[in-house]
Amino acid sequence: MNIIVCIKQVVTREWPVRVDDAGAWIREQDASFEMNEPDAYALEAALRLKEAQGGEVAVCSVGPQRVTQVIREALARGADRAIHVVDDAGVCVDAFTVASAMASAIKDEPVDLVLTGLQSDDQGFAQTGVVLSALMGLPHATIIMDVEVGAGRVRVKRELEGGWFQWVTLPTPALLTVQSGINQLRYATLKGIMGAKKKEVRTVSVADTSGARQRIVALYPPEKGKHTHFIEGPAPAAAKELVRLLREEAHAL
Amino acid sequence: MERETLDVDVLIVGGGPAGLSAALHLARLRKSCGGEPLAIAVLEKSRESGSHMLSGAVFDPSALQDLLPDFEARGAPLGPSVREDRLLFLTEHRALRFPFTPPPLDNHGCYVMSLNRFVRWLAEQAEAEGVDVFNGFAATEVLYDGDRVVGVRTGDRGVSRRGERRATFEPGVDIKASVTILADGVRGNLTKTVLRRMRLDAASQPQTYALGIKELWDVPSGRLEPGTVVHTMGYPLRFEEFGGGFIYALTPERLSVGFVTGLDYRDPLFDPHAMFQRFKRHPRVAALLADGQLVGYGAKALPEGGWHALPRPYLDGALIIGDAAGYLNSLRLKGIHLAMRTGMYAAETALEALRTGDASASQLRMFQAKVDDGEVRRELYPVRNVHQGFGHGLLAGLAYAGLSILTHGWWIRDPMPGHAGHERMATVSAYHGHRAARHAAADVPIDRTLTFDRLTNVHFSGTRHDEDQPVHLLVHDLDLCRTRCREEYANPCLRFCPANVYEMIESPDGPRLQINASNCVHCKACDIMDPYQIIDWVPPEGGGGPQYDGM
Amino acid sequence: MILVVAEQRQGELSHTSWEAVAAAQQIDAPVTAAVIGSGVGAAAEALAVADLAEVLVLDAPALSAYTADGWVQALTGIIQAEQPTLVILPHTYQTRDFVPALAVSLDRALLTDCTRSVRRDGELAFSRQMFQGKLMADVVPLGPPPHLVTFQSGAVSADAVVKGASPAATRAVSVAVDAAAIRQRPEPAFQEARNAVDLSKAERIVAVGRGIKGEEHLESVRRLAAAMGAEVAASRPICDAGWLPMDRQVGSSGQTVTPTLYLALGISGAIQHVVGMKGARTIVAVNKDADAPIFEIADYGFVGDLFEIVPAMIAELEGEKTAC
Repeated sequence: MNIIVCIKQVVTREWPVRVDDAGAWIREQDASFEMNEPDAYALEAALRLKEAQGGEVAVCSVGPQRVTQVIREALARGADRAIHVVDDAGVCVDAFTVASAMASAIKDEPVDLVLTGLQSDDQGFAQTGVVLSALMGLPHATIIMDVEVGAGRVRVKRELEGGWFQWVTLPTPALLTVQSGINQLRYATLKGIMGAKKKEVRTVSVADTSGARQRIVALYPPEKGKHTHFIEGPAPAAAKELVRLLREEAHAL
Repeated sequence: MERETLDVDVLIVGGGPAGLSAALHLARLRKSCGGEPLAIAVLEKSRESGSHMLSGAVFDPSALQDLLPDFEARGAPLGPSVREDRLLFLTEHRALRFPFTPPPLDNHGCYVMSLNRFVRWLAEQAEAEGVDVFNGFAATEVLYDGDRVVGVRTGDRGVSRRGERRATFEPGVDIKASVTILADGVRGNLTKTVLRRMRLDAASQPQTYALGIKELWDVPSGRLEPGTVVHTMGYPLRFEEFGGGFIYALTPERLSVGFVTGLDYRDPLFDPHAMFQRFKRHPRVAALLADGQLVGYGAKALPEGGWHALPRPYLDGALIIGDAAGYLNSLRLKGIHLAMRTGMYAAETALEALRTGDASASQLRMFQAKVDDGEVRRELYPVRNVHQGFGHGLLAGLAYAGLSILTHGWWIRDPMPGHAGHERMATVSAYHGHRAARHAAADVPIDRTLTFDRLTNVHFSGTRHDEDQPVHLLVHDLDLCRTRCREEYANPCLRFCPANVYEMIESPDGPRLQINASNCVHCKACDIMDPYQIIDWVPPEGGGGPQYDGM
Repeated sequence: MILVVAEQRQGELSHTSWEAVAAAQQIDAPVTAAVIGSGVGAAAEALAVADLAEVLVLDAPALSAYTADGWVQALTGIIQAEQPTLVILPHTYQTRDFVPALAVSLDRALLTDCTRSVRRDGELAFSRQMFQGKLMADVVPLGPPPHLVTFQSGAVSADAVVKGASPAATRAVSVAVDAAAIRQRPEPAFQEARNAVDLSKAERIVAVGRGIKGEEHLESVRRLAAAMGAEVAASRPICDAGWLPMDRQVGSSGQTVTPTLYLALGISGAIQHVVGMKGARTIVAVNKDADAPIFEIADYGFVGDLFEIVPAMIAELEGEKTAC
């Protein structure tokens, strides 16, 4: 089974995110980066499928030189090879441009499954995977908890809302976006890290992207200094008032 | 249990300036000799190169010039050249500028830089030369054959808080090497055990330390010209306390602001973090930071003992370099270049050991000879008694520092007697008597704009540890904390830890020490300053710790 | 014309459909709604009470069960025929599953998980959280209309829907849906308890901090949470003490949550906790210390003893139930 896992490099959760002078993006020069967590689960799912079914896992990432960090990490964990879509100019800014660049980079790859995380920890649009499937003409399913492999098809467990789930069968090749936390991530080993250096990283330059479909015009911290409505009085009366406000004013109960 | 093993020629523990310089120099030397590339491994506990690096930093490029003469072409991220040195003496409300810059604080020819960025770059250079840099692996044990060091073991990963194996359990790896170079930094956890076992510091004075606490600030442009270096003495410290503040301008908008305090203070209620907050409230400093924004925080101990506190740095199979041994010039407030220099010496020594097939102590003694004949002794020996001089207070220290420069370090008693810092701490009753026991400057208003509490500060250090792992601060007698220590020293760990790791919790059964291990920024202050020496800092699971971006 | 795509399950409109209608009405009139599926007449009629230009209904056997391919086919047809300027959808798991493919099929821009619409220099932009709630972004869709926009659940109140004077007209639309081209074969949905709590999906959260003092007080907190239909969560010291498991921890070393309601009991508001919950829509803080930083981000505050207000709230909420 040939699997391609799309991984994104995002700023670390710990980084106290800062907005740049133009006010429309973050100060990337100050940031530290790591593998998007949902993508790490997608990679782990792919490695487990490979261990069970045989085949190959390739990872694909779009971005400037710095994304070699997550590519190397994926190779150290056990991916067999990588495709780096080099985007030094930063033209791949939204799901559509990123997915277009990936689609053209992997169009000639032999593939049974494409896996992505369900969304990114930075912009969190939850679009790239599904857009990629549509551009590649693959069937897809999202928020996947489990994968059963059959002949020419996969049966996958989708998470719906409110504790509901559903099994869906798709013909392969197919694209799946993987839910976070469905497995436990393995550690990279010393041998894995050494081996990663010898693995193939194919670099592809960004092909003509059809232009971005969205533009961030302002990026700013959430409005601070919310007006706090203090509820006074003895507890029973305050509780009554709070419940009323939550119900009638905040519509939160 | 099946344990992965790895055999290399030279193993370097610690990917800081010392370890990476050793690795890079060794790889390049080997290449220039035309031999087969060596297997050189660098183990580093941080998840990325540079993540645990913290310094001011004013950088003396002398060692780098010898290590990589074309460092500029290779894009070394050195930051602006030092354009101006200012030394200020602070009183509570005023700042008096010294009319001249004492020669040790003349930083002409140096650079203001981020050590985090520099080390990240240095690691890239080493990797490009074929060195294996293993980030996210903590070395937890030295492997011996008799008394000969043969390598190290890395920590198990995937162990739960209760010590059970989790599903992802990955046993530590035994890495064996012909030569092991310990570059595990200030109060390195492996170096500490080696010094003890092999009694390498028997003839040295006890190492003394200071604690540096630093913040990175973005401020409105133009407060200080990039390359401006400001050092302060005096307020908020008292004459009996050693230390001072620093402000370095990295860019027109970015300042590195920090405060260094000697970890040899007497007053058990002294609080280094509070001193730093108070320093920022000084009118001169507050004006520089006004309308600015905190962007990073970190803390780290530094070895201050100088020449007389250096241990024997060679033993069978191993060398000790950089801050791990204590190669730091506390008068110039610089150690990066000495770390790099000793790394280069270690590389040369290791290469010779490999060539001769002899890595015994008598062969590795070559390292000591290089230290004695070269830059390191030339720089450290003349100022050998400086920090000990400060042990007698600021004025004595200053006078001493001045005299040292004139006499090239000769002093009435040579070496001056030193004490381990924790031994100097007095009990509350001995220091404060029956007065209301509080340090004069300990209460600082926290406004979360200019001044911050420890917990908020820790957030800005980017510190992260896997939550489900054993506590990595081993307190050997928790009962003592709630009884004797509380009584005698009022739990100084609550104050010397700059990261809110230690907390006394009032519970129905009385007070108890809570250890918030995942706040730990790996500064080592607790291991050093605990008056009973019952705290053992051991590495948490590899990859955990601060993320000092741009620091 | 703005088109709202409503969501129904087994013929029943989802609550989020009303929120999407309200969001659309706040942008511009007229608003048209579409309901697709099989046997969705009743849902369409229910929707018609809102002030809408009309309600479009696509009833097709091929749409009896939700599939991404089926929905993309159907909605591509409707949108191409009706030519709206803007298409608004609720940001549900189902929408997430098909709407990016719909955007590709239409070759149009898509903005997901928005919380409000704003005018910026005359341009219609949409605000949404980014970087896990640490920042807000105003984003504009590019390219020719119609633009597709999904709204976060709870971002706009369903109560804000403007009702019509008389029911809106419903109109059946005919779009051929080729069942053979649907590649997903869904099985019936089933319910299952998740092994671990996933606080990030909780709609309401009652969180406790150090102010709770002792483990024994957790029982009343659990009872309050049950009465509110909320999950119990905690700040770090509570989980460190082992009073609650680590998967209940909210904050930088725990989970990041964005519930509709977050009730913080005895939580001081250390930044490590706040980064994990400040994206909550409504925050209520109860703390003895009026200067606790948690009040800086709270919508409602009560300065006082949580051991008094918690029982009083339980009494209030449980009392109502018995009264009903």
